[in-house]
Amino acid sequence: MSNLRTYLFASISLVGVVLLFAFQSAKPGRIEPYKQERLELDPDVSKWSVEDVLIQLGDQKPQHYIEKLDADSVRMGEELVYYGRLKDHSNKRVSKYFVCTDCHNQVLETDDPSDESPARVLDFSKKNKIPFLPGSTFYGMYNKRHWYNGDYAKKYGDLVKNTRDTLYNAIQLCATQCSQGREMDFWEIRCVMHYYKNIQLKVSDLKFSSEEYAQFSNLVTAGSDKAIGMIKGKYNEINDAHFGNSEIPKIPGYEPNVENGEYIYKAGCMHCHAPGRNITNFDLDMDLLSFKFLYAKKDKYNQFSISHITRYGTYAVSGRKQYMPQYTYENMSNEQMLDLMKFIETKAAE
Amino acid sequence: MIKRLSITLFVLTTWYGFGQDKVTEAFAGTRVINNHSNETLPKNTLEFIIGHKFGDIAGATGGVDNFFGFDNIADVRFAFEYGIIDNLDIGIGRSKGVGARTQMLDGYAKYSILQQKTSGMPISLTFVSSFAFSYVKQSHDSTALASYPTFWNRMIFTNQLLVTRKFGNRFTWQVNFGYNHRNYVKYDQINGVYFVGTSGRLRFTKNIALLAEYNYTFNRLPTENHQDPLSFGIEITTGGHIFALHFSNAKSLNENLFIPETTSNWGKGQWRFGFTFNRRFKL
Repeated sequence: MSNLRTYLFASISLVGVVLLFAFQSAKPGRIEPYKQERLELDPDVSKWSVEDVLIQLGDQKPQHYIEKLDADSVRMGEELVYYGRLKDHSNKRVSKYFVCTDCHNQVLETDDPSDESPARVLDFSKKNKIPFLPGSTFYGMYNKRHWYNGDYAKKYGDLVKNTRDTLYNAIQLCATQCSQGREMDFWEIRCVMHYYKNIQLKVSDLKFSSEEYAQFSNLVTAGSDKAIGMIKGKYNEINDAHFGNSEIPKIPGYEPNVENGEYIYKAGCMHCHAPGRNITNFDLDMDLLSFKFLYAKKDKYNQFSISHITRYGTYAVSGRKQYMPQYTYENMSNEQMLDLMKFIETKAAE
Repeated sequence: MIKRLSITLFVLTTWYGFGQDKVTEAFAGTRVINNHSNETLPKNTLEFIIGHKFGDIAGATGGVDNFFGFDNIADVRFAFEYGIIDNLDIGIGRSKGVGARTQMLDGYAKYSILQQKTSGMPISLTFVSSFAFSYVKQSHDSTALASYPTFWNRMIFTNQLLVTRKFGNRFTWQVNFGYNHRNYVKYDQINGVYFVGTSGRLRFTKNIALLAEYNYTFNRLPTENHQDPLSFGIEITTGGHIFALHFSNAKSLNENLFIPETTSNWGKGQWRFGFTFNRRFKL
């Protein structure tokens, strides 16, 4: 009998001890505040990304902030950008009309990211053989803070409202409206953003004078937030957009540059319209027929007129959703338009 | 950095590679007028074609009484063509048909074997295999063509090779030769005929061109009432559609019929107006 009591007591004690340790102080999950820990960065500040600098100095993180880059996500994001789907075909194409690279470069388009003027971009593009495209480059897109600015509201109306401060929504608008495709899944956009992060601006991409850089480097090393203002002055957080009209520009005294016009034609127009590209239904070539046609139509108010199609583009319509985006004044200046038209005129006269 | 560089190089080589080597736009579409051209559809592209031919403009059944043929319909065809890969097309079509061969379904496969290049390859070589099938109700008259004793009697096949060369930017010339086989023919006809044809395109401007095509058939029986199909046309491209307006003695719009079955004579006013238009869609 006493043995039975002993066993009972031992068993109850054991269960009690187990129960005691089984209690937890669990609560619903909550977001822990971001710990401002110093990342392990190269002592050479020029090797840092712009974001690294800003985070180290305590700047506010963007909504699309990605703390840790995932190599597999970068790869998938890159495949989505270049091919519109994963190379293993495990997802559906985002758009049957376009892929991102039809309108957007993936490399730096200027030697000074604080100056993305059409003249500077064209000059840099010529030197580095980069396509001259209507869309903003994806290189450094991660470092922007506002998208679909300026006159894009005229084209897309209220659709741009939630894109102006949110990269996720901007990508989605581009997928569904600009490329006339499907809505992208969350994981797809996340992968594209990892890809963006992978091609974000580096300190070495920015244009500092040697004095400026020495000052900047010291400020960063000292952890001074004055460096934030300094680095933000070296690139643009916003790409503005102003739409033009179909009139042929008149710039008194301007002598068009045929060489620039040739580059715009080859690296801009023919990027999509070259035979065999199968991006459009209207092919252009370096032949007399193409130049004579374009020159003959230059004064028309229709899509065959160079100034008209370049400034207005075409709009996606039901049953014919493929369309052409326009070049804003921020992507092609009036001078460059005249350069292009002069090149066409010159070739048409040969 | 190496990855970035390789991506940049990929973009640049792709960009500069396009359009430099292959000779493109020999013809605007997959047909010259009604003959097949060497052009194939890009991968995942669907083309819709509507063709129409009217009655005789002149001769006994033409003239003002039939408003120069507009009161009569010689043939109507609509078709869908699809690019499986960049070098391989398939297509299906339905046409009214002509003469005793009516209610026609047709189909084809076209493969681009060689592509003309700016240097190295002077011609394009293309193989086209097509069939036509009449689903007209079987005639009880055993002497009629449409009596079709067996299912396979309804079939017609055409296999041909196209040799094409574009000279400069304006002129393209094509020679086609092949074999047409009608499984069931009238007593005064021969089942298999060999043919050789030629087609040309002369571009006046970027979007307007003159077209011509002709097919000559060999080994005909002397008793057969036959004419070689000869057509002329104007092509207008609009950057989305291709219109071909033409005049032809052939009534049919499909090669399985207009090569072996043409009987209309240009000299007797038995030629007609027709048109086709194409529209491409990306899928």
